[in-house]
Amino acid sequence: MNMSWIENRFEENVIITSVDLALNWCRKSSIWPMTFGLACCAIEMMSTAMSRFDLDRFGAGVFRATPRQADLMIVSGTVTKKMAPVLVTLYEQMPSPKWVLAMGNCAISGGPFVFEGQYNVIEGVDLLVPVDVYVPGCPPRPEALLEGFLKLEEKITGKRRFPGPESRW
Amino acid sequence: MVERIKAELGATLKETPVGEADYRERGYHLFAEVASADLLNVARFFDERGFYLAALICVDYKEYLELVYIFSNHASLCKVKITLKIDPAKPVAPTISTVFDCAYWHEREIREFFGVSFDGHPNMTYLFLHEGIDFYPLRKEKIPVSDEDKKALGAFRPGEGEDTFFVNLGPQHPSTHGVLRVVLKMDGEYIEDAQPVLGYLHRMHEKMAENRSYLQFLPNTGRMDYLGPMAFNLGYVTAVERLCGIPVPDRANYVRVILTELNRLSSHLMWLGAYLADLGALTPFLFVFDDREEINDILEPVTGSRLTYCYFRFGGLYNDVDDAFVAGTRAFIERLRSRFSLYEKLVGGNVIFTNRTRGIGVITKERARKQAVSGPVLRGAGIPMDIRKSEPCAAYGEMDFDVPVGTRGDALDMYQVRIREMENALNIIEQALARLPEGPIMTEKAPRKLKPPKGDLYHTVETPRGELGIYIVSDESDKPYRMKWRVPSFSNLMIFPELAKGNLLADAVAILGSLDLVIPEIDR
Repeated sequence: MNMSWIENRFEENVIITSVDLALNWCRKSSIWPMTFGLACCAIEMMSTAMSRFDLDRFGAGVFRATPRQADLMIVSGTVTKKMAPVLVTLYEQMPSPKWVLAMGNCAISGGPFVFEGQYNVIEGVDLLVPVDVYVPGCPPRPEALLEGFLKLEEKITGKRRFPGPESRW
Repeated sequence: MVERIKAELGATLKETPVGEADYRERGYHLFAEVASADLLNVARFFDERGFYLAALICVDYKEYLELVYIFSNHASLCKVKITLKIDPAKPVAPTISTVFDCAYWHEREIREFFGVSFDGHPNMTYLFLHEGIDFYPLRKEKIPVSDEDKKALGAFRPGEGEDTFFVNLGPQHPSTHGVLRVVLKMDGEYIEDAQPVLGYLHRMHEKMAENRSYLQFLPNTGRMDYLGPMAFNLGYVTAVERLCGIPVPDRANYVRVILTELNRLSSHLMWLGAYLADLGALTPFLFVFDDREEINDILEPVTGSRLTYCYFRFGGLYNDVDDAFVAGTRAFIERLRSRFSLYEKLVGGNVIFTNRTRGIGVITKERARKQAVSGPVLRGAGIPMDIRKSEPCAAYGEMDFDVPVGTRGDALDMYQVRIREMENALNIIEQALARLPEGPIMTEKAPRKLKPPKGDLYHTVETPRGELGIYIVSDESDKPYRMKWRVPSFSNLMIFPELAKGNLLADAVAILGSLDLVIPEIDR
């Protein structure tokens, strides 16, 4: 970012940044998820928010029961055809900017409930709403969900909160 | 008891013979095939003798449809299977919802999955399926939904009321513990009528069972009831073992008991936290998750997962427990015992909580029987029935524990019963650990490919939520011909509408919480 014309014009304790950077920094530091437990994964989502894993460390522990106050929808479980219109309504009720995290294999692709002749499961929530982060697992461990949050932060701000482990592959 | 019922039933039915089945193989003592004209009389016969309708099952045998009624008794072990054959081209049967209230829900379920219509049923609307379904899912052949049924398909739509309005509780609501929807007809702050709408998490488990081999279906059991998957695992493996006659080594039986009870603890702890969170107290939620994580720490190295366990195998276990597991479990027992006094101070002795729950959602013994509730809800209502006692599987028969019962049958009693059950579970684990035998964990006699002999079986186990009944029909192939799951939460939910009637909206949440529902298990 080129800000040379403005640099060094103020005293030392003033930080200059773009509006976007500042807003995104705020956004990533307070991702409020919606209380939206669908199936088994919801229990692991609760575990993530509770005593041991403490999602509050990342400013994301404020679970809102109404979509109108939420930034993030964690689709934690199987989406059935009966649930699909409800899910889309909930997504539409969320104020922008909003994000969707598909938690678990069911939300990603239908998971173990896809078989020939199946009549009731949506094979992936991305067929209904745009998904930002996919967290695989059946169910994913709380650490995996936390990593999903870090990935979402990375998507919002463009850089990671702290360096992750180096890939060995 | 069995002899007496056989004689009396024979006298009532006159021409139709009453057969006696091998209980260890079939899971029921008596069976009889009745004509549809006799059905209502038979239902009244069992009603007069204090039986409850444990399950209502439909099986499609292609040439005919068969309705299976399992009647069971709280006081002594006596199970009777009554079957009724109906014509698949014009499937009509008389309703017994006038005698047993719980049949109201079972019959609605059978209507949408098999297309059987019940004469005299007051409300034959769809309960589970969505509007895009144009065939009967569990029929063996694809049969289009009839025009008459299509009218009932639009799920539940509230009618016009005078001076009343409707409130939708769910499907996205924090205190329904999942995606349950209850349509409440309100008169001001008071509930006039409640109508559950299910199927938001219908995952076709019963359909899947017909498409998979016995072993392939095993992981599904953990996903049906995600809070008590061990008990569902246990129910399924013991049912198949019973069907095929596979022996289980002693050590495996003891380990099964320990793990199922540990899982029961984690399920009840979760209930405790979630229930109090519903009532507005979030602190216990944080405490119980602390304990739950301790249980997960014990179970994870052994089972390999944190939540949807798939640990038992036909004829044994997947993995042996080690000394670290035994030591960890002992330490956990000590820890949880000391925590109970904390919970007592925080919750049980809390005036706000006791005043909030005392006297609401009262279930009488008679209503509990008619609606076929089970588990802690039944014991809270004052009936000392526990399948771990009456039909012990694994090593439960060798354990010494009592069955706690409530006196008032209200929501507070349900709480106290569950707390005492947790203490009991600790005692059971302690006994099983002390007696844990050495030896193999897997029988050598387990066949690689399971092909159970022809026949059916109704097998029950006690899950954290109550009676789980598994009805398997085998046709000698490696896949079940039909597998029906009689799930406890479904039966426990049935009593909710009458409990909610006349109560405040805020109390409905307290009542719903006291039933301890798990939605994927209701919807299957």
